[in-house]
Parts: sequence; structure tokens; C-alpha cells
Amino acid sequence: MVQGTMPQAADMINLGFLSDSERELILEVLQRDRELRQAEEQRVRSLKTELLDVKRKGAKRGSGRYSQRSCGRCQEPLSRLTVFSSQCKICNHHVCNNCRTVVSKGSWLCTVCAKELDLKKRTGDWFYDQRVNRFSTTPGHDLVRVSLKKKPQTKKRETTGELLLRSTEINPDLPTPMPRVRQKNLITDNKGHSNENSGSIASKSEVWSKPTHGDIESAENNSISSSKTDAESGHVTPEQQRRENRSVQSSPAESTVSSLTAPVKADIVGVDGANSEVVQTAADVQLVSPTPEIDVDRLFKKSIKRSLNPPECVSTLDLRDGRDTSKASLVNRSHSVPGLDIQDDGEEDEDIDSLVSFHKKTMASSSYSLHSSRSTLGSMMSIYSEAGDFNSVEVSGDLIFSMSYDEHTQNLHVFIKECLGLAYGDTSRQLSHPYVKCYLLPDKSRQSKRKTSIKRNTVNPVYKETLKYSISRSQLFTRSMLISVWHHGRFSRNAFLGEVEIPLDTRDLDSPYEDRVALMAKSAPAVSSTAFAQYKGELVISLKYVSPKKPTTEKTKGKKSVIERGELQVLIKEAKNLMAMKPGDTSDSFVKGYLFPTKTNTTKRKTPVVKKNLNPHYDHTFVYKELALEQLEQMCLELTVWDREAMLSNEFLGGVRLSSGEGTVKIGKEEVEMDSVGEEVSLWKKMMQYPDSWAEGTLPLRSTMVKGK
Amino acid sequence: MTDGDYDYLIKLLALGDSGVGKTTFLYRYTDNKFNPKFITTVGIDFREKRVVYTASNPNGATTGKTFKVHLQLWDTAGQERFRSLTTAFFRDAMGFLLMFDLTSQQSFLNVRNWMSQLQANAYCENPDIVLIGNKADLADQREVQEKQAKELADKYGIPYFETSAATGAEVDKAVLTLLDLVMKRMEQCVDKPPAEPANGNGATKLADAQPNEKKCAC
Repeated sequence: MVQGTMPQAADMINLGFLSDSERELILEVLQRDRELRQAEEQRVRSLKTELLDVKRKGAKRGSGRYSQRSCGRCQEPLSRLTVFSSQCKICNHHVCNNCRTVVSKGSWLCTVCAKELDLKKRTGDWFYDQRVNRFSTTPGHDLVRVSLKKKPQTKKRETTGELLLRSTEINPDLPTPMPRVRQKNLITDNKGHSNENSGSIASKSEVWSKPTHGDIESAENNSISSSKTDAESGHVTPEQQRRENRSVQSSPAESTVSSLTAPVKADIVGVDGANSEVVQTAADVQLVSPTPEIDVDRLFKKSIKRSLNPPECVSTLDLRDGRDTSKASLVNRSHSVPGLDIQDDGEEDEDIDSLVSFHKKTMASSSYSLHSSRSTLGSMMSIYSEAGDFNSVEVSGDLIFSMSYDEHTQNLHVFIKECLGLAYGDTSRQLSHPYVKCYLLPDKSRQSKRKTSIKRNTVNPVYKETLKYSISRSQLFTRSMLISVWHHGRFSRNAFLGEVEIPLDTRDLDSPYEDRVALMAKSAPAVSSTAFAQYKGELVISLKYVSPKKPTTEKTKGKKSVIERGELQVLIKEAKNLMAMKPGDTSDSFVKGYLFPTKTNTTKRKTPVVKKNLNPHYDHTFVYKELALEQLEQMCLELTVWDREAMLSNEFLGGVRLSSGEGTVKIGKEEVEMDSVGEEVSLWKKMMQYPDSWAEGTLPLRSTMVKGK
Repeated sequence: MTDGDYDYLIKLLALGDSGVGKTTFLYRYTDNKFNPKFITTVGIDFREKRVVYTASNPNGATTGKTFKVHLQLWDTAGQERFRSLTTAFFRDAMGFLLMFDLTSQQSFLNVRNWMSQLQANAYCENPDIVLIGNKADLADQREVQEKQAKELADKYGIPYFETSAATGAEVDKAVLTLLDLVMKRMEQCVDKPPAEPANGNGATKLADAQPNEKKCAC
């Protein structure tokens, strides 16, 4: 993986000749470089999102059979005269005047091609593309290059600094680069902490009280379907949309961030665990070295102080990231996730079904009772988990906390000191069992969740617990910390007791100071969001409607009209640039399809799981039989991509919704508007327009299937 | 500094013999300060600077389009013992500041070696390079004549500057000329595919630079 992609660099770098302090200095430079690189990657990602925006507006793509009489972008009819001079030089589509961008005097391109060229410059791809070509001619690396050319997106941008940093961090004593070690437990490390505090207690009791699957999360979920839920989806919907909005506001950070955090985490822990001694000695060396040198170092090296920083004291509850905790966290996890002990067969299905059905239900705006029994909602949807009880409790009280950033371990520390004057979560019995939960927004997945322990029967709980996030400093500025307080209802719902959201860009994280803030109620949902605001990757599919073999009229008994029934074939080709959900920068993904309206689950289809690939090729066909062409007009095909997580719930990676984009479709008992847009509509229409031929398209993945208003 | 609020990230790299003044040169460029102490660079380092770049059409008139460019300026150790490390970084740079010391004939002679190192390790065989003779302020110790250096630069077809990190003379100009070359190459690279004749992005001008005559030293 790491090796071979840049054989030149990898082969050349041998750091065996460096002294410890030299290596430390270089490592520091590489760290700084990484920060820059991460900011850059984030920028590149948002640029690509922009491009998608432009693309989405465009209709015609590839080599479809289109009429030359209409604009390839907006599909407005073209006048006959312009047809001759209206071809874009790159894509050869005929486009109207409005869909052109003048690139220089007298020459123009269609908006999409112009944007693509511009992006090539801004993202630096012009450079990386050239570099790939150059090194591809190096003998012996042809094979590698072939694969590189196919999917150069991530690897081609790899720099020596990146490569070196990674190899150095894995094992500083080994001079030669080694492939990165996959450490599954890294991600769960932090979770382990919170479980350490609350998870085991909480979920154990949960398991006792209810024979349900799932951890606290599902406990919270289940509260939805508990006794009083009849009218609750009303609350759920706005809340959820608010979350979506929130993530939109801070996009494009999210997509980048979550795909980046995993490797970063791995790296940092590598440093912490294995290298802490090295770091320490290096720091010593510098302290001992003659003063003038240090002065000059200060002059020249901006971040010299990093290695001089003494490691910050760790609170009692906080175990250092490292191997010792990983074991513990695994154990704890099996406590808190009952599914681990039970067979996990079928769990995946339930997850997804309940999730998808949840989407459906939230799409339907009217109230709907949520009886998804035995369901563990996906952790991406752990936002749903907060669909506890928002309105019954009058929020009151204050939260006292502080936040700081530890350069040394690259950890954000959230110190939850105490709460004062909380409301009663259980109003009838006048008591609260409060705990505090944090999300490092916009990431609201399980990986971003941290909890304190539960304090029993108090409205003035004292926690003095530190919740930690492993994150590089440069990423912090796009984030905010959502701290919420919850009443842990042992036999009933968890009740929301208040929250605060702290933006991190304006906060001084170097000098931790104690803050006392008033807890707030959930704010009203903000304005509408678009599900496409974040770049989640793309899905390449092909659709074909196969006409009935005997187009002659069937003998129909009693039916008013003659219906010809054929079948719809949906070829799931591949996905591109999926989010990485697992350590080692990968995801194990599969695609799931539904054709609505549906009776029960008969239209559910799934592809096999493609492991460890962010650009997976599924090449799998879903077939829906017994369909008349006219029916498709009223139908909606929903494809969702998931990261398969064997022991836990699957993570949602993105989805598309194909339909004519007009009218409504019946999902369950609800009439839901078909909100397909852009290519989702045009591909669907193209399929209907040209039966018996494949209509292929690349669709941007939605970051949420929830319908925006 | 590392927010993403810029239009282009351009990576340049300084190389040359040990002691020719790469680090001080870059320090002068980014911070406009001079540090006379000689601290040998350990392997690699980099500095950053944000500049505004103004694109212009072939006549030299600005098109009014300005871009924020984030410069990442890699500094490399000149010492032989770091060679394997430093050359590995050549491939990540878009342009090069090839430096020698005007007071050291040997450092000038080694320019050829550095050139071949570049040709072998850079992202392409003829990357954008400017040749820089540093320490122009030490006139009394001068060992390399301007004519000599210019001839060599002409042979390679690259611009030549005599700079002084101590006084700051020509430092900005040298870097910005390189940036200009890189930006032009970028335009060419991107415009090549559609094979468009004479795209109007010939010359460009730097807002940050002094009245920038195109003849310069090339």
C-alpha cells in the first residue's frame, strides 16, 4: 500500500543515519507540513464540491444519444443556426450562450469544462498529473502506475513528507518506511474511555431493563418507541433537520475531516504509544543544548515549543491513548454492546431497514408512531438517539467546564467540571440522573461522541471528567463542541436537560479557563438544508428498462387497461471517493436499493460488501420485475451506500434518490414528495425514454436521505 | 497560517551547496529579516508566505484578476549527508531556487551537479528553476563573476539573479519570478488538452513585486 506507490521516494529515504534529535526536528517539520496539507486537502475537497454543484445542473453527459438541438447543460432548445458554432471544445456538447464561460478572448468552454480546468489549477492537479506521468516511465513501476492511473485521486497527491511522516511515526527506530499498521482498536479507544465511565453502568442496566439490542444509543433510541411516543416524530423531525443544517453550515469541513481523522488518530497514537520516549528524550536534548542554539532555533522554527512542552497532566479518569486502554475498551465494548455477545446475523438488515424506514418517516412530516422494535439505529444516525424527550423538561441550570488543546498529544480536552441547578429529568418523581454528552461537530457520529459518567439523583452533579478528542489543531477551527446534558432514565426515556454549543474558532484553547454557561433548550430548526452540501463521493450506475418480450396485449381479466410488464435492471457499477470510516482510511461498503412504492420488503436489494476500498467496484445488478414502463414514472428508486460494521450498526455513507422528480410516492402510509434533482432526474428519465438500452450516470451522493424543505 | 483561504498552494524548494545561504535567503523573503549566524539545516524545513498574484494578458496589462497564493518554501540541507533525504523532496516541488554563493567558486561549480539532481528527481525533466548567486553584498570576497553565472543560466535557459539575504536585494524578485514561471506553466498545462491556440494568458505580473520588467536577467 504505502510502499510501491512512490517507490522512488520510499527507496531513497533511509533515516538510519540521523541522530535522535535530528530525527525529532525533522519530524516536527513534517508535522507542520501535515497541518498545511490537511488544510489543503480540505480546500481541495470543497472545490470539488463546487464542481459537483455546477455539474449537477448540467444534464447531458458522456456519450448518450442526445438531440443536438438542445443545450447540453440546461437543455434549453438551441436555435438551428447556433448548432454549428455551439460545440464545447472539450466535451463536444452543444451548449447555449448562457452555459458558456469565456476563458480568453474569443474562446469559450461550457461551464462545466471551464470549471474543471480551473479546478485542475487550483487543486494542484496539473502538477500531480504531470508527476504521475513522469514517474510512470520509471522502469519496474509500470504495474503500480497502471493502478495509479486508474485511481490516482488519493495516491497521486501523496508527498514525500507525508510518506516519511507516516513511516517514521510507526516505528522511529526503523529507518526504512513500513506499511502503516492497521489498528482497529484505535478508533474505539476514546469510546473506551467514555464507556469506562458510563457505558458499562448505563448499558448494563439498560440491558436488564429491556431486552433490546444495542448500547446506550439504542437505549436512547428505544425511548422513542416507548410508551409515550405517539406524537413524537414531530419533535424528531425538526431536531434532525437542525442537525443536518448544522453540518451544512460547517461543511465542507466534515467530509474532509472525517476521512482524515482516522489516519491522523492512528498516527498520533503511534507517537503516543511507541514514541513517547523518543519524544521525551528529544525534548531533553533540546533543553540541554546550549542556549544560543535554542534561540536561533526559535528564530527559525516556528513550532519549536511543541517538543518543549511537558506532557499535560492527565485526569484520573483519563487513560492515555495507548495499547493498555485498547484492551480495556474492547472489554467494555462487549459490555455495552450486547449485540457482541449475541449473534449478529440479520442485525445489519435491521439497522438499515430501520434507518431507511426512519428516513421515510421523517420524510413524511405528519406524526407517525415509530415502532422499530429491536432496532439499533446506525451510529451516524446517533443524532436520532437524541430524539429522546425534548419538550417535557424545562431547561434550567448551568454547566461549568473548560477546554484546552494539548499540542503534545494533539488532543482536545474537554473538562466537564459540574452542573448546577439542573432540571428534573423525571418530573413525576422529581429527580435527575444526569450525564454529559459531547459531540465534536459537525461530526455527529459515534466516533465523535463522548460521555461522562452518570451521577445519580442529583441536580448539581460534579463530574470532574476530561473527555478527549484526538484531532490536529488546524482542524479545530472549523469545528464546534456540542455539550448536552441528559437525564438517564433507567426504565424510561432519557430526557434532554439542556445544551450549549461552543464554536472552537474563537476560543482560546491555549489557556484553559473555566466557563460557566447557562444551558439552553434545543433551538428551532434553521432554514432548509441541501443534502448535497457535503461531498460524499459519487455512485456510478446504469439503468435499463427491459421491455416485455411479448408486447402484444395480455389477456386481462377484468382489468380496465392493458398493461405491459417488463423489468427494471439497475447495474450498480462503482462508487468513488467514499468516506473512510475505518482505521487505515478505508470503508467496507455495500449498496442497498429500494424501489418505492413498495409493499413490504420485496424491493429490497443489496450488493455484496467490497472491503477496504473507497472506490469500490460492485458490478452488481438489481432486477425489479413485473413493471410497466408507465409505472416507473410514479416510482422512486433509492440507493444507499453503507459501511459494513460487523459488530456494530452500519454507517451511512451516502445515497441517491432517482425518480421523475415530480409528484409524490407512497412510502408506507405516507405520501412523500419525490425530491430527486439534477442527474437523479435526468438519468431516470433517460432510462424511461430509451427502453432496452443502458442509461449510465455518475450521481453525487447525498449526505442525508432526509428530505430538506 | 494554514487556513484554506487561498486560491493556489505553490510549493517551491531551495537547493544548493551547504552554506550558500538558502535558509537565510528564505528567512529574508518570508520575514524580511537577516540572521547572520550559520545554522546548518537539519535535513529539511519549510517556511510559508502568502502573496497576491495578479494575472495579466500578453500585453502586460493586468486583467484585474488577483489570486491569493500560499507559498510553501522548502528549505533543504546542503550537506552531503542529508542528500538522500533532501532529494526525495524534490519531487514535491513545483519550482526551484537553485542557489550558489558568489564568494565560493566551488559552490558555483556544483550548480551543474544540482541541475542533474533536479533533472533526475523533480516532477518533470525540465522544471521551472531560477539560478541565484547569493551574498552579492560581499563584493570584496566575490569569486564568481556575473558574466560567468549568466552564461551558465542562459545555457540552461533559466533566469539568473544576484541576491543578498543580508541587504534583501533581489530576493523578492527572484522568488516572484519563479512563482511567475510556475503559474505560467500551470496555465499551459491546463490549456494544452483542448489544444487552444494562443490563449490569452501569456505574461503575468506580480502585485507584490517591484515594477517588473520582463527582460530581467534572463
